[in-house]
Order: sequence, then structure tokens, then C-alpha cells
Amino acid sequence: MKLGKVIGRVTLSVACPAFKGARWLIINPSDRKTIKTLSEDMESTALSPGPSPVVYDDLGAGVGDIIGYVEGAEAAAPFKNPTPVDAINTAIIDRVFYNPFES
Amino acid sequence: MLLARVVGNIVATQKHKSLLGQRLLLCQPETFEGKPLGAPLVAIDQLGAGLHQRVNLTSDGLTARSRVNDQRSPARYVIIGVLDN
Repeated sequence: MKLGKVIGRVTLSVACPAFKGARWLIINPSDRKTIKTLSEDMESTALSPGPSPVVYDDLGAGVGDIIGYVEGAEAAAPFKNPTPVDAINTAIIDRVFYNPFES
Repeated sequence: MLLARVVGNIVATQKHKSLLGQRLLLCQPETFEGKPLGAPLVAIDQLGAGLHQRVNLTSDGLTARSRVNDQRSPARYVIIGVLDN
């Protein structure tokens, strides 16, 4: 699972039939620098470098929530019939405890 | 497999049912010398790894699904080894 903050939502007007009634969230993935702001609940407006994935959501996360999402073939595991999903929201995070190691 | 260091944990009450009761640790992948690589990941821990311990992560969903014994689980990263040094 990777951590990220929900920064928006996506609505598909024309989509694959398997996506009927699906909810999509835009995620700002957190890297080593921005994860500190997650653990200290600070409002970080900085977008991480790299793409902001669109994640399938059935847990009901809203904009501003911190979520854990999974990418890859494992994201399609929870579906009965085959669905072309490659990123899914697996947890809405309440607290992040981050204590980096200084060697 | 990924070499990583445990750098924290997360608390999530609203999550996929297969993750209920699993210990979720925040692990920072790093090189052998200890240089951090990329973003921290959340891994399922069933071995009781402690903070700042070095662990071995698998990113294979098949292993993860068998660890949480739910074939519909989206779990991916699992700690499969705790390193001594």
C-alpha cells in the first residue's frame, strides 16, 4: 500500500461497462518529504513530483482524506468479474506515525 | 524482494475487510548501504518487526493474499523477513 492525499474526484461520462457506479479519486502521492506533513496533520499544498494517479474507491474517501492505495494487478483482485482497474483505495488512514531512521 | 527499514506505522479503521486485524507498518525501501530509495510503503507485518529494524518486503500479491487468506484481498506488500544485521 502507498500513502497519498485525495486532491480531487473524477466523473466518467462514457466508461467501460464494468465501471458502472464507480467512484474515482485523484491522489497526490506522498514521498519522503511530504509524508512528514501527513504525520503532523499540516495542510501541505505542494504537489509531489510525478503523476497523480486516479484511484478506484469504494470506501467513500473525500477530498482532503489521507488514503492507502494499491497499484498493479493486485488492485483488480477484489472484483468478481474481471475489471480493468490498476489502482484501488484500500484504506482511509486516521493516523500516520513517521519516525525516519538517521544512520 | 525489497530491502526496507521500518520507520513507523499507520492506523486505519476504514479499510478493506481482509486488512482487519493486520499490523500495518510504514517501511522505507533502501539500498544495502542504507540510502533511502523512493517513497515509504505500508506493509502487512505478521512477524513483529520493531521500529528502525531492517526487513524484507515482498511486493507479490499472490503471497500477500495467501498471508491474509483472502483470495479477493488487494493486499500487496508483506514483511516476510526481519534482518539480524
